[in-house]
Amino acid sequence: MKSRLLIFAVIALVMGLQNGLFAQLQDEKSVTITMDLQPILQLDMETADQIEFVFDDIKDYYAGITKYGATILKVSSTVSWDLYAVGRSNGTIGPEFWDQVIDYGSGSGTNAINQLPLSCVELHQSQPNSGAGGAGITATYIDYSTPYPASHVHNGANSLYVNNGTLTPPTVADKYIAGHSGTSALGDDAMPGGSYLTAGGYTSDFYYVVDYRLLPGLPAIFPNAFDADATTAEDLVTVNGPNSYAEPGVYTMYVQYVLVEDQ
Amino acid sequence: MNYNNIKIGKGLLIIICLIWILGAKAQIVCADVEIVPNTSEHVDYVFDSFSKYIAGITYHGSAKVNVKVDDQAPPNPDCKWMLTMSVENNPSSGTGANQWETLSTYGAGSSSPAKIDILKVRVTNICNTSPIDGIYQNFIQTGDFIEIIENTGIRVNAGSCQKNVNGPGNYLINYDEFHFQIDFRIVPNFGFDPGVYQLQVKFALVEVP
Repeated sequence: MKSRLLIFAVIALVMGLQNGLFAQLQDEKSVTITMDLQPILQLDMETADQIEFVFDDIKDYYAGITKYGATILKVSSTVSWDLYAVGRSNGTIGPEFWDQVIDYGSGSGTNAINQLPLSCVELHQSQPNSGAGGAGITATYIDYSTPYPASHVHNGANSLYVNNGTLTPPTVADKYIAGHSGTSALGDDAMPGGSYLTAGGYTSDFYYVVDYRLLPGLPAIFPNAFDADATTAEDLVTVNGPNSYAEPGVYTMYVQYVLVEDQ
Repeated sequence: MNYNNIKIGKGLLIIICLIWILGAKAQIVCADVEIVPNTSEHVDYVFDSFSKYIAGITYHGSAKVNVKVDDQAPPNPDCKWMLTMSVENNPSSGTGANQWETLSTYGAGSSSPAKIDILKVRVTNICNTSPIDGIYQNFIQTGDFIEIIENTGIRVNAGSCQKNVNGPGNYLINYDEFHFQIDFRIVPNFGFDPGVYQLQVKFALVEVP
């Protein structure tokens, strides 16, 4: 009886398989899709070829000269990004000083100093930096959005970042326009990808209007020149000693704006 | 016959019944099913401008699926078929379930690999036979599949130009119902690591008893 059942089972199994057990006609076709996402970092800048500050009046020395909206920065980026400004020159006087093009007068006074710090340029940005909220950011001023202090108040809230004449990015203690040092997270030290074209134009984090101010003071010592971390004064008296003042002449420097993938 | 033999006999009978039932369910009901041609195709997307990132790139008709289903002789009223598409990202390479397979990356950013759901697929034919005809679909993760022609259990004969035509026929005679145009659209927007990514979309034609 046992062997009969086994034979019956085998026959049934064979018939079942013949009937198509586990068999089903099918066909397939594949489409392979390759996507090449090329990184795009685009900084559109509207600015005059040259921004001139002419100090030919005592009140200009006292109150400084401000050039409002002299530069407009428009960012488009497909990746997370940081934007910073850095003061640079040709280094004819030194890597952190303005280039002296013309020296007025027949000679230099005893305390006349031609080493004008690049950090005496003060910037003000229209939108605050929304990409520097991380706990690791130690900067006293994370950006240049603080309104210019009155001419008799001296601090480094707006002093331009300078790094020995190089393009080296600011550290966690320094200022960025947007984003910051590190790669922790969006908002902590990075700005998200996007474009001013689609993100709300001039009110967005992709559009910055930059004002420039030079405040020589009287005597002309540029009291708002501070080191990159805005804690160490770099005015002419602090650096060169009492009674120092800026040597009259024509000076040039340039501000370089760097848009970089968050890093 | 002892008690053990009775137990074995009962067990075998149950197995036999199951075999018959399954055999009946899975039987071949059509003579042949084919996608013509069934060779793989390749579609390249290059995003090198902002307009492409924002608006995306759409390739219409970048793939075509021609269906050919032959009935048995004599005709079998159960011969029906379904058509599906699925996505695969080569998970054996360590790719995350919801990501494209990364072939290479540019730069050293802090973003993330592209997500599968940025790929949108639209299927159309002249008779709009697919329930998803003309509507862009997207997958969430590898292995997801979408039915183009559903397995409803009801046969809709070719030539009727109705929804879900799934009877025997072929793209040569019933072109409006058996020829499917596939459109692919990718809108990456921002936030993904720049690099080269790959994904595979599979179309499967299966007979359904």
